[in-house]
Order: sequence, then structure tokens, then C-alpha cells
Amino acid sequence: MGKETMSIFAGGYAGKILYVNLTDGSIEKRPLERDFALKYIGGRGFSSRILWDELETKTDPLSPDNRLIIAAGPLNGTPTPSASRLVVAAKSPLTGILGDTNSGGYFSPELKYSGFDAIVLRGRSSSPVYLWVRDGKAELRSAKHLWGHKISETNHLLKEELGDEDIHICAMGPAGENLVRYACVITDGEGAGGRCGMGAVMGSKNLKAVVVRGSQDVGIADPKRFKEAVDAYRQTLEGEVWTDVLRRLGTANLVAHRQKLGIWGAKNFQRATIEGWEKISGEAFRERFLVKVMGCMGCMVRCRRYSAIKEGPFAPTYTKGPEYESINSLGAKPYITDPAIILRAHYLCDEYGIDEQTAGSSIAMAMELYERGILTKEQVDGVELVFGNGEALLHFIEKIAYRRGFGDLLADGTKIMGERLKADYYAIHVKGLEVDASDPRSLPTRALTYAVSTRGSCHLRGFPYIDEFIKPEEAKAYFGTEAVSNLESLEGKGKMVAWSENWVTIPNLMGVCIFAWNRSRSFPMLIRRGLELMNEIFVATTGLPMTKEELYHCGERVYNVEKLFNVREGFRRESDYPPLRFFEEELPDGPGKGSKLKREEYDQLLDEYYEARGWDQKTGIPTPATLKALGVP
Amino acid sequence: MCELICSFHHHQVGNPGRARIRVIALGQGEDIPVTCLNCEKPPCLDICPTGALYRDESVGMVLVQQDLCIGCAMCVNVCPVGAVTLDLVEGVAAKCDLCEGDPQCVAYCPAKVLKLTDAGQFAKYRMKEFAKFLKCQVGEN
Repeated sequence: MGKETMSIFAGGYAGKILYVNLTDGSIEKRPLERDFALKYIGGRGFSSRILWDELETKTDPLSPDNRLIIAAGPLNGTPTPSASRLVVAAKSPLTGILGDTNSGGYFSPELKYSGFDAIVLRGRSSSPVYLWVRDGKAELRSAKHLWGHKISETNHLLKEELGDEDIHICAMGPAGENLVRYACVITDGEGAGGRCGMGAVMGSKNLKAVVVRGSQDVGIADPKRFKEAVDAYRQTLEGEVWTDVLRRLGTANLVAHRQKLGIWGAKNFQRATIEGWEKISGEAFRERFLVKVMGCMGCMVRCRRYSAIKEGPFAPTYTKGPEYESINSLGAKPYITDPAIILRAHYLCDEYGIDEQTAGSSIAMAMELYERGILTKEQVDGVELVFGNGEALLHFIEKIAYRRGFGDLLADGTKIMGERLKADYYAIHVKGLEVDASDPRSLPTRALTYAVSTRGSCHLRGFPYIDEFIKPEEAKAYFGTEAVSNLESLEGKGKMVAWSENWVTIPNLMGVCIFAWNRSRSFPMLIRRGLELMNEIFVATTGLPMTKEELYHCGERVYNVEKLFNVREGFRRESDYPPLRFFEEELPDGPGKGSKLKREEYDQLLDEYYEARGWDQKTGIPTPATLKALGVP
Repeated sequence: MCELICSFHHHQVGNPGRARIRVIALGQGEDIPVTCLNCEKPPCLDICPTGALYRDESVGMVLVQQDLCIGCAMCVNVCPVGAVTLDLVEGVAAKCDLCEGDPQCVAYCPAKVLKLTDAGQFAKYRMKEFAKFLKCQVGEN
């Protein structure tokens, strides 16, 4: 049992990767190479590099040739606070580029206890199966009896069948079975690995779930140094306002912030503020629905919510969440301010296994098209598909899951819907992934972050808020110009975004949560926690040699590999632009009223960003010199 | 966190399977940590055939002398709360030892719900809660 974990690593890594071919059922364990670990660390580093190595150009994401990679990081399974994050990756059926998603909870540590750092699945099973991994052993078992079941039922049946309620499950729901392009994976019925359609990839492989359980030790090379670093980290949380707010209100605390700045993408980005937003604020959800504040494994922050609707037409509904993104996608975008409907819609998305962000965005886009007369009532199954119609939202979430009626088109996401209906302009996405988080028209650095992200529009691929709090002398020291501390200036901002992307990639490699490690309103604290302490814990855990500078370069290396993947698929500079609407239409209301992106300014930002990255100005392709310096490929 | 830090303190590894405290999930958001209650008349100590389980009178805890334990699991069978297990690696009885008086699960509990207390203090706490309840009742009537 515990002693089986002997590997070439002194700690952290299980030292093995599990390779499963679903076509012929073969299962193979391969050792994790030391050099690979040193260069790519784990998690997203492993998955991105393996996808780059193993996939051919233009592989159909829903074909057996695609890989599905489930990866933990070296810190998962140790007592490192908030080391709970799992990466699930594949070529995305929604975007056609590199796809990955990140989920919290308990699965990722358990994968390590089961004896593996990562699982790489290929092929397609001839009938439904699930993968059962336990203490270094793995087998494919029939999932015929699970097919068609929603997430909670699937979890219940698996626990009953395996006679163990402590198993951890990464499953897809009916949406994955029906190849909804943005079907998600859900770990333990609670943690959504939402984006990029990883559930659809599972569906295409006839893989209902991956189940892990183990009792193997995750070693720690230098326990004394490890404990000192963990204690130092815990101290940095003292007095951290952001984590206190997260604990009290969860990510839903951002609702008030979005309203204050006027950066909602409400009504499919036709409004920047919401009338009646107080009804869907973090406080409102806490007061009406919160059952308990929860946390992922080993987390000191505890932003997770457990909520319930105990009365009214949707009772009883018990669900994790809602997150800020649930409220944004299922509230702001379709312009619904009834919190019970948002919570119910969120619950349904989790049960069917649908990414609520793309679902909400797609339905909101359809609402705009309907209101503009581009979609007729007949086309949308006779439903009055107008903004604010909560029943229509719930109706179409179910139809998306089963690709019924108009749900069939909605299930392809905004990009394909735009192409089919000749309404590209209203599809608010970058490289096929819908714009989340906020409307960046008054904040060009956010626009740049969303547009250059290697998985399509994403607010978590960078940290473009540094200019809101960095001091002039810090800006000068780190980015070469004090201008980075000036919110009005764009000078140095391309460099700032590139730096933040490399830096915020690191937690995705380690398996820790960015909310607990990479959030602060003090720039020195971003360095302290995100580089110094992270590196210290990595070294103490694994015993591998690494400096914080080298660790930063690991983040940069992974980002470049991801860029190479997308370049190989044919994506160039023109795909690193935000949606046209942000250049054409001004923000109609709120504090940023009248703002829109200016093409010249954006060009300049992108130029500077490419320069900071060492990528070709015309094409956005990483130069040979850049790749050589990073040791890629 | 309590499970992780427990396995780290006792074995210098991360492995909840070797923790002497366990969080039991009851569903719908209910999670309850369970560990040794340090009984006044401990059945585990009474039934141990080799005397491996003993009470350290200086700290008042029931502890395990590992080299005497034969791994028969009688203690596991009789413990009313399930707080004694056989260690996955060493195969001998393992139970909470309060970390030499400074329980790490209490020190690292993010929610600060774990506390080290004795029966007297706990009874006093309960009385205080009950007194508050009585005060409310009186106040209403």
C-alpha cells in the first residue's frame, strides 16, 4: 500500500502515468520521467505537452484519435493548502483548439493516492464503459447501466456498485452522451470542469466516468522545510481582504463589483449594468439560499457554497454554488434577475453536465436574435424567447442536453450558431469560447487577456488587474516603466499581461487554486505567494532543484507550447482579436458609458504583447529564438 | 485539512487514509469530523491482549506501544466511535494521541470548528448555551 509509492521522486509525484486505449481495452503504466516533470511540473503542463506531442494536426475532436487527459499536480495530495485542483484536457470540440478545464474538490488528490499523476485516454470503446482506478490498478468496466443517467444518479449508482462511498468520480452527464459541444465533466457531483467541452470528448469515447480511490502516500521530501513554507503561506492570508470576502460571499461577491464598474455583459453584451441587480448579489444568495459554507480539500479560503431552494416551485433543489459565473451566464446574459431561476438553472446544468457559461451565452445570443427577428418563433419551438424569460432558459437547458428541437443548434455554441444563422456579429466569443467574466470595452487590458488566451476567451488565463494597484516603483522594477501603474496609459500593459499569464499558469501546473494563491491587491504579495512560496513548497515537496525564476519559465514554456498547438491548427494574429461588437458599439450605460475598444490602440497593445512574448508581430507565431531559450519543443 | 495535517504530523506524508481523524460526509452539506473521545473506561485498552494499548497517566491519553501490538484489530472492533484503525503501512493500531498535547488538526482547522477540550469544560459550554436558551424563553414570555 503506502510503501508502493517508491519512485524516482523523493516526494510529490506518484511517478506513474496511466495510458488507456479504449478501442482495444489495453492499459499501460509508464514511469513519469524526471526531465519531463522538471520542465512541465504537472497538471496543465503535462496535458498541454502531451496533446502537442500526441495529436496530429486537424484531428477531429470527437474522433477516437483525440486524447482525454486527466492530470494532477505535484502538490495534490499533500497538506499544501488549496491543493485540490484537477486539469481535464483534450482538443476541444467547441473551439477546435487546445481545450482544458479545471475543477476543484477531492478528485485530484485521490488520483495521487490511487498511484498516478495523470491518465491519458485514447480511442473509443465499442460500448459504454467507466474506468476504475484503485491503488495502482486499473480496469474498464461496463457502464451500460449508467448510460442516460444524470450526474447525481450516476454517482449514487457507482458508489453502490463499488460498495465504497469514499470513491471520487469524474463523470459526464446526458449532455456528454449527446455530444453537446460544451458538455462538461463534474467531479463528485459538485466540481464542474466546465469549459471547452471535455464531457463531449468523454461521450465520443463512450466513457461515462473515471473513478479513483487509493491509500498510497504522497511523500514529502523535506518535511521541516515543507511545514515552514506552509506556515508562511498561512500567514500571508492574515488580513487578506479578498479571501475574507470569498469566505463570506463566495465568488458571487463579484456581482456588486461588476455593477459598480458597469462591466456586465448583460443582454448578450447590450447592457453594462442590471436593473434590480441587488436581487442576485452575493448577499442576496447568502440570505435566501445558503445552507453551508464549504471548501475544497485542504482549503483555508473556503469559497464554495452549498445552497438549497426549500420553498416555491423549484423546491427541493440542493446544489453547490452558485458561483459568480453562474449568475453572470444564467442571470446577466439572458437578463434574468430571479435568483431562484438562476439557482435552478445552475442545478440543471450540473445535473445534465452542461457548461453553464456557454449554455447561458448561447441562449442569450438566441434571445437577441429572436428579438431582432433573425430567429422566428417557429424556429425556436414556439417559445417566446425574449430577454428575462426564465422559463425559456430552463426549457432550453433541458433541450440542449438532449439536442431536442432548437436545443440541437444551441448545443453547438455561439460560434457555430452564428455561422449557421449568418449572424456572426452577435456571437460573442474568441476562438469559439464565449466571453465570460466581464465586458472589456472600458478595460482594454482585459480585452487583450481574453483575446490572446490559449483556450479561447478566458479571464483566468491572465491577471490583467495588476495596473489597478501596482505602485510606480514596483512597475518600474518589474515592467521597466512606471506607466504600468497608470490606469489611463496602455504603455507596458502588453508586457504586464504576458507576465501575468506566465505567472498564473503556475498554479495550474502545481494543482493549487488561483483564488487561494494568486489573488491579492498588493504586487509584492503576488510575487511572494505566487512565485517564492509556491517554489519553496514545490522544492520541499519534491526535492527537485528549482528556483523561482526557473519556475516562472515553466509557466512561460507551457504557454508557448499551447500557442504552438493553436498555431499548428492554423490560428494566427487575426484570431487574437476580441469580438467585433466591442470595437463597433459603445457601452450603452453605467460608469463606462460611451467606451468602446479602439482598433489602433488594440493593435498597439497586441504588438507590445507579442514583443514581450518573443512572438512574430505579423503572425503571432513564437520565434525560433524564443522557443530555443525555453527549450521547446 | 485535519486529515492531511494528521497524516503529515505522524508519518511525514499526505495520506488521509492514515489519518487518526476522519471527516464523515453525511450528504447535503453535512460533514462531521470524528476522532478518539479518550474514554474514561476505554474498551480498546481493556480488550488489548498484549498490553500495547496503555494509558499515559501524565497526559491522560490512551496510547499505543507499537512494538507490542500484534495487529489483531480487537481494539478496532470494540471502539464505539471507530476511532482506532490499523495503519495501512505498519499494520498496527493507530489512534489519536493529541500530538503530544498540541493537536495539529485543531491548529490547522480552517473553519476553526475543532477544539481541544475536556468533559468539564464541555459541560460548562453546554450549560452556557442552555442558559442562553432559557434567557430567550423567559424574554419571550
